[in-house]
Amino acid sequence: MKRLLFLLSTAALAGLFVLAMWQDLSREWAGYQRQFFRSLAKDERRGLSGGIKQLIVSELHRVDRCTTCHLAIDKPQLALAEEPFTAHPGDYLAWHPPEKFGCTVCHDGQGLATEVQAAHGDVKHWERPLLRGRLVQASCLKCHGDLERIRDHVPALRQGIALYKQHGCAGCHAVHGVGQTVSIDLSDMGDKPWQLLDFTFVEGHHNFSQWVYEHFKEPRRVTPGFRAHELPPGEEEIYPTFMPHYGLSDDEAWALTVYMLGLTGESLPAKYVLPSPPAAPQPTYASSIEAGRAVFERLGCVACHGTEGRGGRRNLNAVLWQEAPPLVLVKAYYEQDREGLKELIRAGRQPVPRLDPSRPVPPLYMPAWKERLTEEELDHLVDYLFSLADAWPAAPQPVSAAADDTEGVRPLKNDGLN
Amino acid sequence: MADVKQYVKKSKLWKSIFRHDFSDTPRTRLQRVFGNVFLHLHPVRVPKDALRVVYTWGMGGLSFYMFLVLTVTGILLMFYYRPTTIHAYQDIKDLAYAVTLGGLLRNMHRWAAHLMVVVVILHMVRVFLTGAYKPPREYNWVVGVLLLVMTLFLSYTGYLLPWDQLALWAVTVGAQMAASSPIVGNEGPFRLPFITPANDARFGLIGGTVIGDATLIRFYVLHCIAVPFIFCVFLCVHLWRVRKDAFSRQTGEKVDVWPHLVSREFLAALLSTIVLFVWSMAMQAPLEGIANLNVTPNPSKAPWYFVGLQELLVYFDPWIAGVALPTIIIVGLMAIPYVDVNPKGVGRYPTMDRRGALWVPTERPFAVSVFMLGVVMWFALIFIGYYCRGPNWEWYWPWEAWSHRRVTKLTLKNLPNLWGGLLLLGYFLQGIPIPKLVKDRLAARGGPGAPARFSAALHLGLGVVMAAAIFVPLIWAPDPDYPENSKYTMLFQSLGHAPNAPVASGLYHLVERLGPGVGYTVIAGLIAAVGLLLGWIGVGFARFKDRLYEEVGLVKYSLVMGLFLCMMGVLGKIVLRLLFGIKYLISFPGVSFNI
Repeated sequence: MKRLLFLLSTAALAGLFVLAMWQDLSREWAGYQRQFFRSLAKDERRGLSGGIKQLIVSELHRVDRCTTCHLAIDKPQLALAEEPFTAHPGDYLAWHPPEKFGCTVCHDGQGLATEVQAAHGDVKHWERPLLRGRLVQASCLKCHGDLERIRDHVPALRQGIALYKQHGCAGCHAVHGVGQTVSIDLSDMGDKPWQLLDFTFVEGHHNFSQWVYEHFKEPRRVTPGFRAHELPPGEEEIYPTFMPHYGLSDDEAWALTVYMLGLTGESLPAKYVLPSPPAAPQPTYASSIEAGRAVFERLGCVACHGTEGRGGRRNLNAVLWQEAPPLVLVKAYYEQDREGLKELIRAGRQPVPRLDPSRPVPPLYMPAWKERLTEEELDHLVDYLFSLADAWPAAPQPVSAAADDTEGVRPLKNDGLN
Repeated sequence: MADVKQYVKKSKLWKSIFRHDFSDTPRTRLQRVFGNVFLHLHPVRVPKDALRVVYTWGMGGLSFYMFLVLTVTGILLMFYYRPTTIHAYQDIKDLAYAVTLGGLLRNMHRWAAHLMVVVVILHMVRVFLTGAYKPPREYNWVVGVLLLVMTLFLSYTGYLLPWDQLALWAVTVGAQMAASSPIVGNEGPFRLPFITPANDARFGLIGGTVIGDATLIRFYVLHCIAVPFIFCVFLCVHLWRVRKDAFSRQTGEKVDVWPHLVSREFLAALLSTIVLFVWSMAMQAPLEGIANLNVTPNPSKAPWYFVGLQELLVYFDPWIAGVALPTIIIVGLMAIPYVDVNPKGVGRYPTMDRRGALWVPTERPFAVSVFMLGVVMWFALIFIGYYCRGPNWEWYWPWEAWSHRRVTKLTLKNLPNLWGGLLLLGYFLQGIPIPKLVKDRLAARGGPGAPARFSAALHLGLGVVMAAAIFVPLIWAPDPDYPENSKYTMLFQSLGHAPNAPVASGLYHLVERLGPGVGYTVIAGLIAAVGLLLGWIGVGFARFKDRLYEEVGLVKYSLVMGLFLCMMGVLGKIVLRLLFGIKYLISFPGVSFNI
């Protein structure tokens, strides 16, 4: 009996060892390599060898084993039509030699891994999954200071940056020191750890880019805050995010996501980084109003006060219809008190007076601008603001694009002026 | 052919390798053990009882075998691992993805470590239950407890090495406990004047003010060299004492170690290796994202064997839960063989008798019940901490999904220090015995029934004092948080409206419904009932206490009773917190002294 047990368990252990060894030798990548080598003619196979391949890029602290399966990525003459044996599209590898750049510095994913899912980063606890489709353009921002030079390759990234300017994001957010500090600094947004994000209301795949995308589409759905009834009795309610809902299209939201993913704090060696273009010369403006409009756009006032100052951006519990005040009213209020308006712009208004004193302070506020404006620019800006009332209501424009976001937002009507 | 065979077998080379023939005679059996340095750890013959699996469950041997497995896999892992923050995590990834059988190796090391902790604890429980710590084996029990502590410390130091989020924050929990040690911790009570974050116990443990490269190299050396070395020394002593002290159960004949014991040991090792192998092939050792000091996972949990202590952080100050209680547990465990003078129950598992409604161990009722209660508490706390705690350390049932959006507001209040002090005093006074001397004098003065009457009056009185010390301030003391944070002026009001103090709020609603007159009368009755119940428990233990006192004397008695009351006190504090919403009994926040 004992002897039998001894024999059986020894055999079992030996069997287990063989099984483990067999598992180890027949890992996913080995199958891909067999498949690839079988597709080659004998003379094509010359000089190629099997086993785990790795690109060690010590300057970028990366070890990328992607070429273990993507065997033909830099050999177009051997490439097949199906993944993972395709060649890299375009001339990108000629511009970025793999031995100098590796793969993950552009594509992300888990370079060390040798299993498909893990390598593409679609596993728990890997926060940089493969940048698929247009998302990969985000990585260009790490090195390319002058995007104009590569404009044809980064349409989404350029669209994202353009949208960032158009919607005045700098009015609240700073990137590398440019912009206001009302909301978070976006300089290393792309590195934000997932553990700091709440995925409860994210409908798509739970990863970072999806979170950012859905947050751009519908900020208040992804970050709804806490209503009083969701909290223990006596706790003050927590407002939804004060990020305005801009009614972005899918493409626009993805473009902005690409830009956000590109904003990383990763410091690459200087020789990888290409310089930014020299600053454009100061444009001259035909009138003070035109100069004021340029200031208005540069500072990002449009983010809260709306296109042409028409308002419509929700600011919960703020006086004046719970929104950031429309600037078409400025002339009516301040025409006789130009200095008062200038002082308001210089010093800001923080916090904004409450509509209902029992609820928390409104989350948005007017920051102080005196550090970011010259007195001359301020004069131009005030001229521009006074001109807004004259333009109104000549060019009516839809205020909010999304139907589900009208709650708490006052549709701007003409009688708002009186 | 036969000549060649004879020639070979007679050659010096052959004889120096195979030093005896293979015939199964008593002489060769003996030679095998004698002539082999490894088998020489064994005696030549052992009592047959020592081979019974259902007696030892092979736990001691398995602990040793796990240590061997860990040593071997650990040495292999050391070839692939660099203890620096930029390499450590990458090296662990390499083990999983590039090294031949590297993943299996790491899994085996990880799971064997967990298994060793479990087996060592079970070994201790077995030794306790069979009374195998009693003379002459007291010393070896103490060595065993030290080995247990070192096992835990080995496991804890190894936890950091993968340098992932799990490792970093589990170690942070432990390091914070060091920071809250009394006297030498920067955040503990009675801190010495020169103690700063840069020279306290935490600094000593992690080699800096934040966990980083210095911590990694420190834990690496401790894990791979320093602690295993000390462990080996104590292990030698432990195994040597096992031989010297003889086996705890010896009822019959002795048998030869070869083949009886050796074959069983080999088989046990073989089977446990198979279990470990299958486990390691089926389950991956956890590895989370790379360690990031800026991102704290919510919740951050200690390694499972310390989660019980982490759970105690809910009920006690960090220095109590993390430093004082573990110290008391270790000292208490080591003291067991010296304070337990009951010679009975060696060499067999306890049998149970039915006494009234209770099943009670026959020969060692107090020792066995208290020890097992302690073990059950330890694992119950681990279970709660590991499976029932979610974000913000809130209670989630194991089958519930965690939500980071759930926020529960707990209303917890301190008892006024005087009342809390009175409660503690009443509680610990319940532990005092009535010496024979006093009893004789009482009997001389008041007749033969006087000592019993005195004892009953004393315990019932203390019980009522304890009950009053809990309930009276609860109902009549003002709320110290008033007026800043509380809209109620009395403790009774705040706790009466709290969702987490069922007894207090029950009484509050009782008074509201019945009106103050009837309500407070009912409460007074309740205080008397609870007091008498507590007193009655005291009376029930009175005879046992007095006998114990006479048997073991003052020093041992105070040690036993002190440890016992501390253990029950932990339970009592948990009850007070969960049922009454009481945070601390005595609170001096200025010196971080809160009980």
